Amino acid sequence: MATALASSTTPPRWDPSDDLRRSDTFRVRWRTGFDRWVGYLLPLLFLVAIIPILDLVYYIGSQAIPTLSATVVTSVSSYQSYDALGVPIITTFLFVALATILAVALGLFGGIATAEFLSERSASWVRMSANVLAGMPSVIVGYFGFFAFVLYFHWGYVFIAGVVTLSFFMTPYIFRTVDLAYSSIPRPIREAAFGSGAKPVQYILRVGTPIAFPQILTGVFLAMAIGLGETAPIVLTVTPNIVVPSGLFQPATYLTYLIWIGFSSPPGSIFLTEAFQAAFVILVVVVALNVVVRFIAARYRKRLEGLYH
Amino acid sequence: MSPTPATGDTGDREPLPAPSNEPPAGPSPRRLGRATVGKVIAFLPALVPTAIVVAIVVTLVSSSHLHNFGWRFFEAGGGSNPYGDLVFIVGSFLTAVPALFFSMLIGLGIAIASTTYLPSFLSKILDPFVDLLAGIPSVVYGIWAFIVVAPVFGTLVNPWAVAHLSFLPGFASSNHPTSPTSLGVGVPLAIVVLTLMALPITTLLIRDALRSIPRDLWESGLALGATRWEVVRRVSLRHGSRGIWSAAFLGFGRAIGETVAVAMVIGSADRFPVNVYDSSNTMAAYMFENLDAALVNPLVGYNLAELALVLLAITLAVNILGRRLVTHIYAQEVPGL
Repeated sequence: MATALASSTTPPRWDPSDDLRRSDTFRVRWRTGFDRWVGYLLPLLFLVAIIPILDLVYYIGSQAIPTLSATVVTSVSSYQSYDALGVPIITTFLFVALATILAVALGLFGGIATAEFLSERSASWVRMSANVLAGMPSVIVGYFGFFAFVLYFHWGYVFIAGVVTLSFFMTPYIFRTVDLAYSSIPRPIREAAFGSGAKPVQYILRVGTPIAFPQILTGVFLAMAIGLGETAPIVLTVTPNIVVPSGLFQPATYLTYLIWIGFSSPPGSIFLTEAFQAAFVILVVVVALNVVVRFIAARYRKRLEGLYH
Repeated sequence: MSPTPATGDTGDREPLPAPSNEPPAGPSPRRLGRATVGKVIAFLPALVPTAIVVAIVVTLVSSSHLHNFGWRFFEAGGGSNPYGDLVFIVGSFLTAVPALFFSMLIGLGIAIASTTYLPSFLSKILDPFVDLLAGIPSVVYGIWAFIVVAPVFGTLVNPWAVAHLSFLPGFASSNHPTSPTSLGVGVPLAIVVLTLMALPITTLLIRDALRSIPRDLWESGLALGATRWEVVRRVSLRHGSRGIWSAAFLGFGRAIGETVAVAMVIGSADRFPVNVYDSSNTMAAYMFENLDAALVNPLVGYNLAELALVLLAITLAVNILGRRLVTHIYAQEVPGL
């Protein structure tokens, strides 16, 4: 009795559960519950991205794999008469290889110059135009190729017109990764190089390039993946051919072109089968290139961190 | 550049400062060397991207012969004015704007989930799927959507909407040139495909914007008693608003410029859609399908080049706006971004 009286005059001891009980109003429960349910439901939106990808890969794989065989992929017989994907595959490889070489020639030195020589102002201008070029719709680049190479230069619908158009499409990607690669070389390494008397060209060749090389490689692979998947720049500047082109001014065929002409064919037709086969081959190569890019980029990031410490 | 000549004696010189990542005072070390001839030679290749952009603009302007059509270009085509291209401009916006809306919504959700709610090992697994969406060629999307998704619209979605939503304007199937239940191709399918294709760009940019919030801000929000959702809504989204706007601009640029996939799924009918199931056409898809005619009739070529110029102007404006909003360089290259 006496103890109870004493405790009622002194302020009550603070009890954390008391506080919580007081704050356990409807409003607080609603807020925390809402937060929890948002946490459960929002990740489901990933399904919007994942289901289409899995369905796409599964469907195209299920349509293409039963008809694909080593002979189909390598046979260089006329691709429109029966299952033979050799000609488009070889020609596509030539397209991408030549366009990559051209795009590297156009983008590599520009990227180095932008990272190393240009003032911040002009560099930002050049970077902006590279970004704009990368954001340009492929049909516009294809139109440029048509009006400039096919019509104005009178090349006609030939292999080289497609290669040059495609390389213009790929250039900004290579340019940007090269620029980024050289720009992200740690400053202490640059200072060490110049402090020990290196000339700019010596720095770029002996110090910068070995460090930047993996990232340049990712840019090249990525540009190849993009070029491989492009349709519009090729379709608008090249006519298809049933053989591998023997020269630069010959018509040539392309894997994405097979999809474009075959997609609305009735089920079971040779064009639809070839469209699926082409789509599958492109998908495999593009995904492989993307995985390689990811792998190199992860290793490169680790190495860059190593250089900082 | 090199403040001290490399002589052997270091006797009475003050010790070198500890290496740091801070830029030193004085002239920027960006500028290498002094030789002007070398500088000019080095400068030239840096002009390549600008030169390509300029070449594209000049080629399109010169081959569009702008005086040929004048303002009649922006009128609806047909009858006395066969070269009015309003249909395609409207069609482009009709597909790109809803697609951008949906992909911004989904992108916001995915980005918030990935940066805030998911444990980091899960978001590390799931994020690459979204990025992979960007790597898939548009023609592959097109054939998949035409063969797999279009029948879903033709046999399930459109009939359901006709049966249950026809009280809404535009949802009734009356005065429809083709049956909404036939193929499933049309504006809705194009919107779905464009949503998927813009999704990686919007998601990536929003994710970067949300990640850029300083840890202090995030933690002080939580310390004030806000839930994670409240911090995201009131702090992160405001702090990253520039990045989110740039996601909207760049996603729109991607959606409105998309060519082959749209050409495969929109049905390529050169008319204003009469209801929500109808086919139409976009600038990019129409340009892609009809260039052959330019070889026969040069007027068609002028007309198409002018259309290309309109599309180019839109994408240029959108891209420049979107890029000016965010200054940082993306460490990860995503195709089309």
